[in-house]
Amino acid sequence: MLVKFYLNDVEVSFDVAPNEYLAKTLRSHGIKSVKVGCNESSCGSCTLLIDGKPMMSCSILSASIEGKHITTIEGIQEEAAKIAHYFGEEGADQCGFCNVGLALTVYALKRELKNPSEEEINNYIVGNLCRCSGLQSQLKAIKAYLKEE
Amino acid sequence: MVDKKKMRVVNNKTHSVDGKGLMQGRSYYTDDLAVQGSLVIKILRSPHAFAHIKNIDVSEAQKLNGVALVLTYKDVPHVSMSRAGQGYPEPSPHDKFILDEYVRYVGDEVAMVAAINEEIAEDALKLIKVEYEVLEPVLDFETAYENKSIIHPEDGIYEMFPIGFEPKKNVAATYEMEVGDVEKELAKSDVVVEETFYSQAQAHAMLETHSSNARLDEHNRLVIYSSTQTPFHMRRIMSTTLGIPLHQIRFIKPRVGGGFGGKQCFHGEFFCALTTLRTGKPSRFVYTREEVFGASYTRHPMKISLKIGAMKDGRINAIDCRSLSDTGAYGEHSLTVFMIVGSKVLPLYNKVDAVRFGGRVVYTNHVPAGAYRGYGAIQGNYALESTIDILAEKLGMDPKKIRELNSMREKETSPIFEIMGEGTKGTAMIMESCKLPYCIKRGAELIDWEHNWPRKVISPTKVRGYGMAIAMQGSGIPFMDMGSCSIKLNDGGTYMVTVGATDIGQGSDTIISQIVAEELETTVDKVIIYSSDTDLTPFDCGAYASSTTYVSGNAAWKAAQKMRKRLIKEAAEFLEVKEETVKFDGKIFISGEKSITLNELSIKLLYNKNQQQVQVTESYFGHVSPPPFMSAYAEVEVDLETGEYEICNYVTVTDCGTTINPMLARGQVEGGVVQGLGMACFEDVKYDKKGNLLSNNFLNYHIPTHKEIHKLTTEFADSYEPTGPFGAKSVGEIGIDTPPAVICNAIYNATGVRIHKLPITPEKILKGLKELRK
Amino acid sequence: MKVNEYYRPSSLEDAYHKLQEDPKNSLLAGGLWIKKMGLSVNCLIDLSTLGLNKISETKDEIIVGSMVTQRDFENSPIIKSLFNDSLAFAVREVMGVNFRNIATIGGSIMGRYTFSDVICGLLPYDVSLEFYPSQKMSLEDYLNYKGRLNAILVNIHIKKGNGKGYFKKVKTTALDFPILNVAISKVNGKYAVAVGSRPMVASLAHKAMDYLNKESKPDFNKAAELVLEELSCLDNMNASKEYRQDLTKVYVRRGLEEVSK
Repeated sequence: MLVKFYLNDVEVSFDVAPNEYLAKTLRSHGIKSVKVGCNESSCGSCTLLIDGKPMMSCSILSASIEGKHITTIEGIQEEAAKIAHYFGEEGADQCGFCNVGLALTVYALKRELKNPSEEEINNYIVGNLCRCSGLQSQLKAIKAYLKEE
Repeated sequence: MVDKKKMRVVNNKTHSVDGKGLMQGRSYYTDDLAVQGSLVIKILRSPHAFAHIKNIDVSEAQKLNGVALVLTYKDVPHVSMSRAGQGYPEPSPHDKFILDEYVRYVGDEVAMVAAINEEIAEDALKLIKVEYEVLEPVLDFETAYENKSIIHPEDGIYEMFPIGFEPKKNVAATYEMEVGDVEKELAKSDVVVEETFYSQAQAHAMLETHSSNARLDEHNRLVIYSSTQTPFHMRRIMSTTLGIPLHQIRFIKPRVGGGFGGKQCFHGEFFCALTTLRTGKPSRFVYTREEVFGASYTRHPMKISLKIGAMKDGRINAIDCRSLSDTGAYGEHSLTVFMIVGSKVLPLYNKVDAVRFGGRVVYTNHVPAGAYRGYGAIQGNYALESTIDILAEKLGMDPKKIRELNSMREKETSPIFEIMGEGTKGTAMIMESCKLPYCIKRGAELIDWEHNWPRKVISPTKVRGYGMAIAMQGSGIPFMDMGSCSIKLNDGGTYMVTVGATDIGQGSDTIISQIVAEELETTVDKVIIYSSDTDLTPFDCGAYASSTTYVSGNAAWKAAQKMRKRLIKEAAEFLEVKEETVKFDGKIFISGEKSITLNELSIKLLYNKNQQQVQVTESYFGHVSPPPFMSAYAEVEVDLETGEYEICNYVTVTDCGTTINPMLARGQVEGGVVQGLGMACFEDVKYDKKGNLLSNNFLNYHIPTHKEIHKLTTEFADSYEPTGPFGAKSVGEIGIDTPPAVICNAIYNATGVRIHKLPITPEKILKGLKELRK
Repeated sequence: MKVNEYYRPSSLEDAYHKLQEDPKNSLLAGGLWIKKMGLSVNCLIDLSTLGLNKISETKDEIIVGSMVTQRDFENSPIIKSLFNDSLAFAVREVMGVNFRNIATIGGSIMGRYTFSDVICGLLPYDVSLEFYPSQKMSLEDYLNYKGRLNAILVNIHIKKGNGKGYFKKVKTTALDFPILNVAISKVNGKYAVAVGSRPMVASLAHKAMDYLNKESKPDFNKAAELVLEELSCLDNMNASKEYRQDLTKVYVRRGLEEVSK
């Protein structure tokens, strides 16, 4: 079936199977920045924004996104570079596999919550697993990014 | 010795060279690079823990529209191998066939399907009819030895040199050593403690699942992209197993989404290779998360029994360590992991008069065990460092004091270094750098040990406990691990660096760039690095055994020194002066009045005069393996009514020599600590009675999240290792070693409950508390 | 997961009719667990475009559309205003934000999952479910309903009152299934106690509630004992029966103390 939606503000229409999930659809159309770490709605690597809200694209049926706005990392390149800068400052980036999903989550966090507490930040990013960093450096980097005007 | 104060790149903050690009979504992981439209590979896996395939009928699957290839054990070379990416000859038994008529754990490979898409491949798996003769599995590793069920009864399996391989007894490897007379020393001791600890089959849980793909290039050579830590070993093993000339195979390692040892073995590469060779079409294989948990490798579960004898004054006389390791269905890394339980743990207490270590690695019908960060060391550390605390209590000593009294110091050694290597004999060495006494002292200050140990009562139901441990690792395997590096001068005065060293996320591309930039007095942005491609980069054994910074880093340093000399020679020739008179500051060559910039020289050399490509290559292998050292302390807060606890603070002070990249070094330590905390506290491995792995997804296997990790206090000792690049030792593994013992000791100090079996769960603590109250 | 057809209904009636057409047709209300279970479905009927994603209030109750996401539920000022912001406990610890933006309140309730935070967290309040075709039953009655209810959940009605609640999810890590859930409310002076993930689906502890609401100065330890008399615990891979009982005792007592403050 044909589904029409906005991918980083550009209208696209893709032919999708009724049981196809968004992560697979996007990857098969060359959007390989979307990473699949578990394909069972647990790890958060595939997180992207749907109408501005972070969601795990491994668990969103492609057929259900008709008319919606999908933001992948390609849609927030400058912000991704800024987030990368703070990650670099804290040595928080290692293998990078979870970083794209996390960056999109953090981007949404910054727009949704004003001056969040540490607890609120952790609450927001807890669905993005990372096995490399030790997590504290990520938190420090995210705090620094959130402080930036 | 290079003065750290004069270093401008090394030991200075430098962002990862690939950090920004990866955050922006540049798609350079293995499956991102698969050919669009590749055949998709799926594996039919055994539903039985142990069975013999009596009959297998794939005709229906082959007929399914869209299926390109179906393989069973009848269709693949019957050549035994070890899937472990290790040096040659491998110290692991050759006990695995690509496909076999026996299946030895739930998840073992039965057959392979390649089809035009995933759905058809999955449908085809369902059409394969298999008749199994179900055999009695061995699911308790303590009953494996000489069990009537023999897990490897087949012919054609062997050891490459003596490792104590006795398959008819279910033994993958055996090791025994003794220094001095342990029995005599124990008998002499005022106090002897005897304890047994169990550790579990931790999962690596790297975020990128195992992934590989294959294609034929324009020369019809086999090109494999693989998410691997050891591309050169992969090429060698694939060549011998498939009987293809080595030069007809190219392995490329793109970005890797975490390895931790889990990618130091073969996964789907053979199936991609066979599919592409037999169909001529590109193929790809991506493990599901369930396959990563249930059909790759785990940490070796172990039972470790220790006897330690000491005198009343706290001096430790003797350590006797018996160990039993469960390698699961296949013996990857069985001996090497086992030996490290002794070789990278026991030398911590080097003042003993006698030390003994030994035991067996047995087969069971569990998911195979393999390499995992800190292998052997974390298991041994848990047992030894918990027992040291028990000993200290028996002696009425502060556990910090007993460690200060007995542990390794600078310029000392241990006889174990010479006796035990990894699979072979070791190498004698003196500790040229060992700031362990400082690490212990500084860590104690950071946690305020003096005032806090052993516990602080917060309320009638809340108690804080404090625990500690010390640890050591190595820096590569001497006379075995090798790294090499080529540096090419580009026109424009920048450098192209190619290394075999395998960046798996730990940042080796970054630190090697820093080492080269430091030596050549340039900046990291002028150094372009490309790594781990068996066609294009020089050899490297791969990313394991904490070897990259030390071994590959030394190779890069040697290559940069050589390049520097070479550039001065070329500049001198161009300026028509003697080499000794030329000074080079990274940008310009000056000799008296004469000068030429690097930029000018690089262009002249290619276009105008004595034209040539300036390129150098150097290799390095370790003669020693200088251990990094660490002290670790934790504060935990325990709820005495429920056994639940929080890790309030985890303090580490590490001596890894010079930190080439201080932030990435911190990342290595903290990443290791959190994985170690996962093993200590949360990550339970559960099988049912039939050998099905239950903890095979992230909902049932719990790795630490942002909500469990509250505070990490991470410091480094000022240290310089004379044999390391710019004074560096390794730092990749040591972080993981301490948490099981530290948390075990802290929980004991809070509650009086000693947990002898990982993980340390609230339920076990509460059970212990209830027993104490009886 | 196999799906032959994806269907976007034009109305509740349309969705209902489609659902009746084939026993293998299924509603899509988030779909996270449908995927997890790998079901084979003939037609997936997506409820997301029927306007069931709103939270409103009347004088007496809050009306939560069945397709309200868990994240919108916890962020809703209307939800926050009631019972000292205790209702959101029911969703706050469900996985991460990127999960709760997909999972719906209705989907969580209708699945009657044994591990459900949502069910346990809402159970101690006066919650009733409104279905299409017209039918209404309490949350507790729905949990006790035998078999599959052939209807579409439209709204969740939560009766207003004064008081506050307590929720405890015992778990290994933040992304874990609960080892045990305890939810307690004290609304208009009346206690209600629910315990879930024992590991069965959450239930109200009526004996304990009767005792608590009868006594002028109830003994909370006794109440906890009564909970265990009525609600059984079992072993599973996450915890033993005995540990669950120990946890129940502690957290029922602590919860009662908390809501009585």
